[in-house]
Amino acid sequence: MRVLLVIPALNEETALAGLLAEVRETQSALPEHVIEVAVVDDGSTDRTADVARAGGARVVRLCGNLGIGGAVQSGIRLAAREGFDCAVQVDGDGQHPPGEVVKLIATATSGDKPDLVVGSRYRDKDNFRSTPLRRLGSWWLRMILRVVAGVRVSDPTSGYRLYGSRALRLFRDTYPYDFPEPESLAVARIAGLRIAETPVVMRERRGGRSSIAGFSTFYYMFKVTIAILLTAVRVRRQIPEETSDGT
Amino acid sequence: MEPNQDWMIGKGSWVFAIACLLIAAVMMRLLLRERVTLQGSMSYLAFLMVLGAIGLFPNHASQLANYLGFKLLSNFLFCAAIAMLALLHLRALVTLSKVQLRSVALTQELALLSEKLDRVEQRQSASRNAE
Repeated sequence: MRVLLVIPALNEETALAGLLAEVRETQSALPEHVIEVAVVDDGSTDRTADVARAGGARVVRLCGNLGIGGAVQSGIRLAAREGFDCAVQVDGDGQHPPGEVVKLIATATSGDKPDLVVGSRYRDKDNFRSTPLRRLGSWWLRMILRVVAGVRVSDPTSGYRLYGSRALRLFRDTYPYDFPEPESLAVARIAGLRIAETPVVMRERRGGRSSIAGFSTFYYMFKVTIAILLTAVRVRRQIPEETSDGT
Repeated sequence: MEPNQDWMIGKGSWVFAIACLLIAAVMMRLLLRERVTLQGSMSYLAFLMVLGAIGLFPNHASQLANYLGFKLLSNFLFCAAIAMLALLHLRALVTLSKVQLRSVALTQELALLSEKLDRVEQRQSASRNAE
């Protein structure tokens, strides 16, 4: 299986070197898969791109800051264009241990072969616990997604996820830009993608800072709720057909 | 009941019309210098023409206000101006959103092409070194 690890990064020079070292260990532990790494530098002002190159990653350097959605979509476009079987989003701040990729791949290749696999930090009780406010927000989003789009996941804000080929084709053209994780689940479900979830271990971030803090938490909840409601009433997005060049 | 037209009668209407003409002149200057596109500014020009017409022919505006049930011409003008400005803002928002989406797509394409070029250059350099 050809897998592209997409690492969106904004000013993550501190965490990135260690993360890429872990990725190399994962690559050697999974010889049955061809794993390539693309760091999407989302307009960093530090040495993120240099650190990524030194770590052996492909570097997609955006000339301006597009936000997490735009950065992830760049990686998805790259994966779709170059005919990868799937892409795995791994945060550049070190929250997502690359070794857990094996669980996502195992879920994607088992059972009914889901198109989108979400790594959940809440399915395993001993796992990383976030703040009460975040857990409350997560509960609200779970409920909205279940009622409005029929999505049943325990961790709708998780950015640790695997996009199969149908998901790549859907999201290469259209992907939410602001706080995209919960909205993209609704888009995927309504477009007819199969969504699965697997427990993964997550850590505290090793560098950078969260974009959701203070007042932006309320903006985030409001915006995402509206976006999910709009997705439900919007015309269903069609998944583009696979073309001869593998995209 | 006759609508109150005091503020429009006499010099007031001319001041209003001249203000509109001045803004239209600034708009024309921007158009001539290609700082704004004609397509994007048509609705704004139409808005200014309507305002100018009201300034020049306040009686017609009064009749229209009266017909629509406004007791004061000023109330009618404020409501009409707010509605027109809201429409202009909505139009600008649509344009801005389109431009934003195009800008995101172009930024992504540029980054992907640049990455591809980097790899081609690396391969060429590696093959030159091998020779």
